[in-house]
Amino acid sequence: MTTKMAINAKDIFRNQHRLIRFIEQSIRLCSNQSLKAAQKQQQQQKSNADFEITTSINTQYTNAPEPIKHDKDLGDLFKASQLQVRLASPQQLQPKPDNDEELGFGKLFTDHMLKIYYHKSLGGWQKPEITPLENLVMHPAAKVLHYAVELFEGMKAYRGVDGKIRIFRPDMNMSRMNLAAQRSGLPTFEGKEFIKCLSRLLTIDSEWVPHTDTASLYIRPTLIGIDPTLGVASSDSALLYSILSPVGSYFKTGSNGAVSLLADPSYVRAWPGGVGNRKMGSNYAPTINVQKEAAAKGLQQVLWLYGEDHQLTEVGTMNIFMFYVNDQGEQELITPPLNGLILPGITRDSILAMSRQWGKFKVREDLITMPMVCDLLNQGRLLELFGAGTACVVSPINRINYLGQDLYIPTMEQEKPVHELIRETLTDIQYGKVDHPWGVVID
Amino acid sequence: MSFLLRRNSSQLRLLMAAGNKITRPALSTTASSCYSSSSSSSSSPSSDNNNVNAVSPGASRQRKSTPSVPDADIKKSVFISQSHDIFTNLALEDWLYKNFDFSHHHVLLLWANDPCVVIGRHQNPFTEANVSKLMERGITLARRNSGGGAVYHDRGNLNCTFFTPRERYDRKYNLNIVTRALFREWAIKAEINERDDIVILNKKISGTAAKLGHPNSYHHCTLLATANKLHLGESLIKEPANYISRATASVPSSIRNLVDVNRNVTVAQLLSAVGYEYLRTTATALEDGGSVQTMQQRGFQLINPTEKWFPGIEELRANYSSWDWVIGKTPKFTVEKDLELKEDQHGMKIKLSVDVEAGLMKDICIQLPQSEQRVPVVTPLQGKAYNEQNLNGIVAALKLVSTSNVKQAMNGSV
Repeated sequence: MTTKMAINAKDIFRNQHRLIRFIEQSIRLCSNQSLKAAQKQQQQQKSNADFEITTSINTQYTNAPEPIKHDKDLGDLFKASQLQVRLASPQQLQPKPDNDEELGFGKLFTDHMLKIYYHKSLGGWQKPEITPLENLVMHPAAKVLHYAVELFEGMKAYRGVDGKIRIFRPDMNMSRMNLAAQRSGLPTFEGKEFIKCLSRLLTIDSEWVPHTDTASLYIRPTLIGIDPTLGVASSDSALLYSILSPVGSYFKTGSNGAVSLLADPSYVRAWPGGVGNRKMGSNYAPTINVQKEAAAKGLQQVLWLYGEDHQLTEVGTMNIFMFYVNDQGEQELITPPLNGLILPGITRDSILAMSRQWGKFKVREDLITMPMVCDLLNQGRLLELFGAGTACVVSPINRINYLGQDLYIPTMEQEKPVHELIRETLTDIQYGKVDHPWGVVID
Repeated sequence: MSFLLRRNSSQLRLLMAAGNKITRPALSTTASSCYSSSSSSSSSPSSDNNNVNAVSPGASRQRKSTPSVPDADIKKSVFISQSHDIFTNLALEDWLYKNFDFSHHHVLLLWANDPCVVIGRHQNPFTEANVSKLMERGITLARRNSGGGAVYHDRGNLNCTFFTPRERYDRKYNLNIVTRALFREWAIKAEINERDDIVILNKKISGTAAKLGHPNSYHHCTLLATANKLHLGESLIKEPANYISRATASVPSSIRNLVDVNRNVTVAQLLSAVGYEYLRTTATALEDGGSVQTMQQRGFQLINPTEKWFPGIEELRANYSSWDWVIGKTPKFTVEKDLELKEDQHGMKIKLSVDVEAGLMKDICIQLPQSEQRVPVVTPLQGKAYNEQNLNGIVAALKLVSTSNVKQAMNGSV
């Protein structure tokens, strides 16, 4: 980093995170290693300067989520200003682990949780409360236990390079959650108020996010129906709660970070007219055994296929993207469209919006089938295949076991892989290295 | 450019202030701790401030422009360290002091250590404790970054560090939090004396030290709950030799445990009581806000001071545990020991004098009791670390020298 400051204001604005880091390094007398690491990182960033990360997002490339329409007889909505807090006492605190190896995914939880009850008989949504993490008590006839009247969300909080905590596009998660609530006969709510309550929970448990700039906290908001009656009907009582979990990496990967998949057409995850496009717990229970089968064969995830033509729908719990050379000889990024079988992922939406804005290659939402994949592979036109989700941003795929055959995908052999670029751009926004409206500061 | 800086953590204010002279006089880091209190506050004041010495006319203007934060916006946390290692905890305290942004977030750090002796920044460990005996007993010796006297820590002693930005440093507020907590929990009446010790019936239960830097500051104090008084007394007895030193000397005081005053006191309960009192009091005024105020704070957090959670802490810990810091930072001093050389029927008394600088023996001389002459001694032990073993080595070597040789050397150098 040269000490000559760029006179051009635009340059300063674009490089502000580097400047601020440099200044902070000279103040942070802690470690010389981090200074060297920062310098190395800057050299890497200079070489990736092809794609610009702009701080504005062009609205023609992204859809703001539609505002939710509440039921007429929903009752009162909750507000963040009504939040009551019961802090955990020192004896109730969980000790923090020494290192990442003990962490895994979702095995350890933080000290506090957010709970908001809904009771139709009491007028609607009750006052939100933050309490120490404790067990839930419910009647054995509670609907969630019998008919899986449950839906959930997955988001992450990141500690940015400036020490502030950010969440990524929370409004999208809230709108998705409300749509799923409508489908399950559960009460809808104001997403903005829930985000404010969540922000308070995150500030209280902020020390669960390490002070490094590569750590995150996984947020799991859940909505369950707790009406203690066995009738298959709308739940009159519900509980909206959220727990937080410090995470290491999502799953163990094979060689150099890529995953291998089992593609068996006899297992179907979602079907037209079903709820494959909603994040409900009932979609996931049937997949556990199939995952076990994949693991037994030495494969890491399941590639979900549908239909006679073996359409690729999702990878494990992520959306799928393919980067290839199309019939016109151009590079193209393709992902299945939201036709009711696909979960509308937020990472998926972000990738589509970003790539369209970059304009460096064609972007298309269309069906991908296994015959198409085999064909492209044989012709050497298949470049990359990767999954995209909150847990790991992008997950490159290097092998698919399909109808007894092993297909080797050259995802990791590309020189300047698109999936790496996407991962870097998204993490730059998430960790506040670039100021962007998608990274919402909550601290 | 300044617009960008102001946007982020208050530590960036340092850059604006860089090149500004600190106009106020020596930040009195009067330190007193449970077994002692400092003799003077002027001992090396400048080394307790982190900073910078050039002059700039804009200094006072910039300091005034720092916006003051209203009380309601300041949230408090109580951090409880999971570690009981003195070096790790000192490193954690240092990490927070150097890296955390306290402008809207005040922190109370509570920690307890396995048995150790902690001396002040400018003290001489050899005058404070018997260093070789400590090593034998497995009691760690550490040097902290704030001034003041020597203390003995064990699991029955709770350390409290109050972190705030420099402009909101308030020692009386912090000590009052402690006395209020003691009263609210156990109806123990404690007083704060003029040296900022907390005393109960004239015996100390707490000692204080502080570090005022820019932009952060901290004030830490000890609290004797159930400490082992016998070990405490034994650990703070110095080695039997004559030391001439200008380092900060500890002033011994008589101490008492809280458990002597009320049988129900335990460190766990004390931790909880002080923590809740801290959370329920408003940020700058000593007003009790009750459970309503507590509800608005950030609460208790367990802190695991490892590299994973706090990058850079390992380096700080390595520094605190290094010989160069613990012994090497000792100010220059001289040790004198009386020896008797016997030959035939003559006994000859000489005085051995060793000048120690940065923990290494620089000049070794002998001196006749009547004369002022000092005769240098040549020995391979010169330049080696000062410790009991090496000193005894010199003594043993001298005892082999005959008195006639000594007399010759003395006369020869007239």
